[in-house]
Amino acid sequence: MSHKFWKHLATVTMVAGAALTLAACGNSNASKKNVKITILQGKVENNKQFKQIASQYEKSHPNVKIEVTSIGGGTQYDPVLKTRISSGNAPTIFSLAGPADVKQFKAHEADLSDTKAAKAAQPGTLSSVKTDGKTVGLPFNVEGYGFVYNKKVFREAGIDATSLTTYAKLQAAVKKIDSMKTKLGIKGVFALPGKEAWIMSDHLANLYIGQDFKGNALKLYNSKTMPFTKNADMKQMLDLQSTYSIKPVMQMDYSAQVNQYFSQGKTAMIQQGDWIYPTIAQIDKKFAKNDVGMIPIPVKGEEGKLPVGTSLYWAVNRQKSSAEQTAAKNFLDWLYTSKAGKKDVVNTLHFVPAYKGYSNFKMQDALTQTVFKYSNENKTIGWAFPGYTGTSWDPDVAQPNLQKYLSGKQGWAATVKNMQDGWKKQQASSSN
Amino acid sequence: MKNRSLSFWLFLTPTLVALALVVFIPMLEGLFYSFTNWDGLSFTKMVGFQNYITLLHDKAFVNAFWFTVAFVIVTVIALNVIGLGLALLVTQKFKGSNFLRTVFFMPNMIGGLILGFIWQFIFTQGFSALGNALHAGWLQNWLTTEHTGFWGLVIVTVWQMSGYIMIIYIAYLQNIPQEIIEAAEIDGASAWQRFTKITFPMIAPAFTVCMFLTLSNGFKIYDQNLSLTGGGPYNSTQMLAMDIVNTAYNSSNFSLAEAKAIIFFIIVAAISLIQVFYNRKREVDM
Repeated sequence: MSHKFWKHLATVTMVAGAALTLAACGNSNASKKNVKITILQGKVENNKQFKQIASQYEKSHPNVKIEVTSIGGGTQYDPVLKTRISSGNAPTIFSLAGPADVKQFKAHEADLSDTKAAKAAQPGTLSSVKTDGKTVGLPFNVEGYGFVYNKKVFREAGIDATSLTTYAKLQAAVKKIDSMKTKLGIKGVFALPGKEAWIMSDHLANLYIGQDFKGNALKLYNSKTMPFTKNADMKQMLDLQSTYSIKPVMQMDYSAQVNQYFSQGKTAMIQQGDWIYPTIAQIDKKFAKNDVGMIPIPVKGEEGKLPVGTSLYWAVNRQKSSAEQTAAKNFLDWLYTSKAGKKDVVNTLHFVPAYKGYSNFKMQDALTQTVFKYSNENKTIGWAFPGYTGTSWDPDVAQPNLQKYLSGKQGWAATVKNMQDGWKKQQASSSN
Repeated sequence: MKNRSLSFWLFLTPTLVALALVVFIPMLEGLFYSFTNWDGLSFTKMVGFQNYITLLHDKAFVNAFWFTVAFVIVTVIALNVIGLGLALLVTQKFKGSNFLRTVFFMPNMIGGLILGFIWQFIFTQGFSALGNALHAGWLQNWLTTEHTGFWGLVIVTVWQMSGYIMIIYIAYLQNIPQEIIEAAEIDGASAWQRFTKITFPMIAPAFTVCMFLTLSNGFKIYDQNLSLTGGGPYNSTQMLAMDIVNTAYNSSNFSLAEAKAIIFFIIVAAISLIQVFYNRKREVDM
């Protein structure tokens, strides 16, 4: 049996199943002038805003129709995109999360090097989406993380959060806050969500694993080995967070960390990023507005730098008609480089832009302002972790091993060794 | 087959087509993909039995297998004992027995996902509050270790499904002819003797059905697992179904997941069929 036969069989089955949905979107070049582009994107929290922007664009560009679908949260993005592609209902614009996605969807990625947006992209933001000399992705935005802290608690404890630039200073401050816990009305200095393994395996580990790759995700993705030379520094920071965290660490998940503890003033600081602002604001608007700030996690040799990077990129489907591809590129150019588009990016989407030409914009909240400031001053650490988040090493090796360490089931040396060995094994098997 | 009329096939066709589309064809496709390096989108080569060899050495899969086996053994016993116990209780003639039937069956009407989240709250918040009040250390830190995760899953499953099993036992208990029991009573059989010598053999068919349901359900459980423990801590409470889903969707290793799914299917089918075959032999005909 040839591969083609099975592919056809698969297509036929899926088409039969999805016949009704397909009927509506089969012909894209029925009329020459009108173009319809479909967007399947992975930031579900911005679903409403993207739809609003699309309808606004439709008004100013009457011959273009845009259909936005958002996937995320509990649903994983990649399987949905794969289903859409194999059922013949592939979107015109889709999103990529990193080098692993770039490789997987290679057959569908158009070259975006000649777009205005690609030219305006800030240096370094495109390194993960360059393949064979082409640029196949455009960053959604940049995001940053660090210790998001409760200004009121720090004020009452008499500590200036911005002065905590080294591990020693942070440790001293943590001990001081811990001794005043009851007076400050908090349950713990940190809230470390042991259940949410990615907070450790992606964000925290990035600061230490990333140093061996100068924060470059693509270098990490292509590396045969994982040196992890700074693992002792990571242990120190992880231990500090888990020792002074609200307990039990292994019962805490994301919503407990952000909604239950931080937003309600039960903890002094949490390791999180600017994306949590809307959640905090939803729970306590006043607190979000007045008492939330973010400082960098002090990393030896990288003090005063905030890890800033891109979690999602736009890609345009190469297998669509050229009219559709052009319309898609025009839309992305409009969004990131036109005056009206820029306004939407900052004011509607609350994005910290990954592009040049936004210097006269003001970000909407304290956390994005911090990210924007560090990004403008070039005081950033790169995001290397997208180099492994799409691979099975992250959920199968890094996360369970770090959780084992946190539960006291396994020592640090074994944890590091398992992570290094697991990476070597995966890279060896994926190259053949 | 000769005496099957045209209308027989006509009536059967819709079901057959539906079954073929959503069960048979996907299964054959899956079987085929398990011999390739499919990533959910395309594949470049046939790899023979490579995926099957890999899964034998896959610690996560082996761990999930034994965890699931232990879970199935415990829940099958607990569900049948408790289900039968509840059935015996509510078939006694007393006031409120009908009300109790409804109460015991109620958990079964709540979806597994929601149930998982409710119990997660009970295990983490409720248990720890109780533990604080009673100074009982074993009530603390539930779901943070493999053991508490295991027992948490068992409790939720038993709590949810025993009402359903009870209903099946009730149906069979009420079908036992009253004369036989009365005759035994007149002959001087004690309550225990009446139960072991009459009631129990008479409800053997119910036993077959319930064993089958609890066995296959235990193996296939996914939603409670997902919402209660999410497989954590450190993937130690990950059951077979969840391991397969994660291999496919988290690790993007669709062909290995297909191979695991085929093995999973063979195991569940074999155990369920052997069980039915064996239990059938024990049933009594009236």
